[in-house]
Amino acid sequence: MEADAQLVQQCLRGEGPAWEELVRRHTRRVFNLCYRFTGNATEAEDLSQEVFLRIYRTLASYQPVFGAFPTWLTSVTRNLLVDHYRRTRRDRQTDSIDDAMPQLEERHSSARAPDKLAEAGELSVQLQRALARLSPELREAVILRDLQGLEYNEIQTVLQVPEGTVKSRINRGRIELARILTEMGLKPNNLS
Amino acid sequence: MDWNCTFTEERLSDYLEGKLLPVEAAAFSAHTADCANCTETVALVGGLVNRMRKMPMVEEPPQLIAKILDATLGPRTQKESWFRWLGWISVLWQPRFVLGLGAAVASVVIVSYAAGLTPAKLKKADLSPANVFRSANRQAHLTYARGAKFVNDLRVVYEIQSKLQPEPEPMPVSNPAPSQQKEHNSIPPDSSQQQKSQTAPPASRAHVRTGPMFAFLLIESMADNIAENLINRSTRSTR
Repeated sequence: MEADAQLVQQCLRGEGPAWEELVRRHTRRVFNLCYRFTGNATEAEDLSQEVFLRIYRTLASYQPVFGAFPTWLTSVTRNLLVDHYRRTRRDRQTDSIDDAMPQLEERHSSARAPDKLAEAGELSVQLQRALARLSPELREAVILRDLQGLEYNEIQTVLQVPEGTVKSRINRGRIELARILTEMGLKPNNLS
Repeated sequence: MDWNCTFTEERLSDYLEGKLLPVEAAAFSAHTADCANCTETVALVGGLVNRMRKMPMVEEPPQLIAKILDATLGPRTQKESWFRWLGWISVLWQPRFVLGLGAAVASVVIVSYAAGLTPAKLKKADLSPANVFRSANRQAHLTYARGAKFVNDLRVVYEIQSKLQPEPEPMPVSNPAPSQQKEHNSIPPDSSQQQKSQTAPPASRAHVRTGPMFAFLLIESMADNIAENLINRSTRSTR
């Protein structure tokens, strides 16, 4: 955390290597959040770039006292994801995301599947399909808690909702996700 | 404390994360133990949460970081891009590559000497394809002739060896017919021993004699080869 704050200070002094280090440290987290939310690797890549462009322009507005740098980064990412979701809602209504998701997932897993994803294998693919069927509110809550490992108070900061709402969304999201996976013919507690 | 299925669903995450009060946790467990539906829900959701938390992060596309840096800091300097292009050179400094290269150079040197090439005496004309072909052709023929000579020498050795050996006595049949076997059995044991004692000494004598003969022919053949090589070199140098 302190290292991040220090890097931010160095970035503000115009030190290029510090920014490079900051990008290297957080790209995977941002990309994963975008990928798990959109279910599309290409969109996730574009959105990750957009996130870091925005961070780069607004870095001066970051105040460590308001929260850790990763939480701020997650907030910026989440806001962009919501904007993107609203922007593309009309497209999705005409071209159902549920139909496209398996193809996108397969394309992703064959074109750029890293070894770790291949190890996780079927669960990762099935989970992505199930996540796409969750409502955006529940989806983002589950992703932030269980896939990004954020604490409740951090999620509260990111989503700007009361703690009770955060807890309720995470709980409902998990139950709903287990139900969807069961409907898909999978046992969520026994996936391999 | 009264507990029902709705409570189980509402407080499931609190239960999984150990945030229920002891009284609540006891009631939760008591209800779940009696309710098949709740048992299944707890198992499914608990398993899912465990699996998701252990799931590794998806790796970002390899070019993503470079794209972000290009978009924010601007395209990197020429020096950096050169470093990126020439990054493979670092592989050359690995010990296994250096050892491999050394072995390859040694092989080339050995083969070129064997082919009669001496770098010190190498002329520009020797490198022309026609000369290279002629030289290779000559060397191939020479090698074949040497091989043929060696085989002939060996043949001579074996011929001499076979002449030095006395005619072996006919060996007893290994699987004689039952009637013959009876006859064979009737021979007293000391007579078969006598046979062995008659055949053994000439074989060992032949072995003793052919050894030096073989060595002599081998040395002679090597001397021939060396002389031939020297003649070839001297004729090439006079040319």
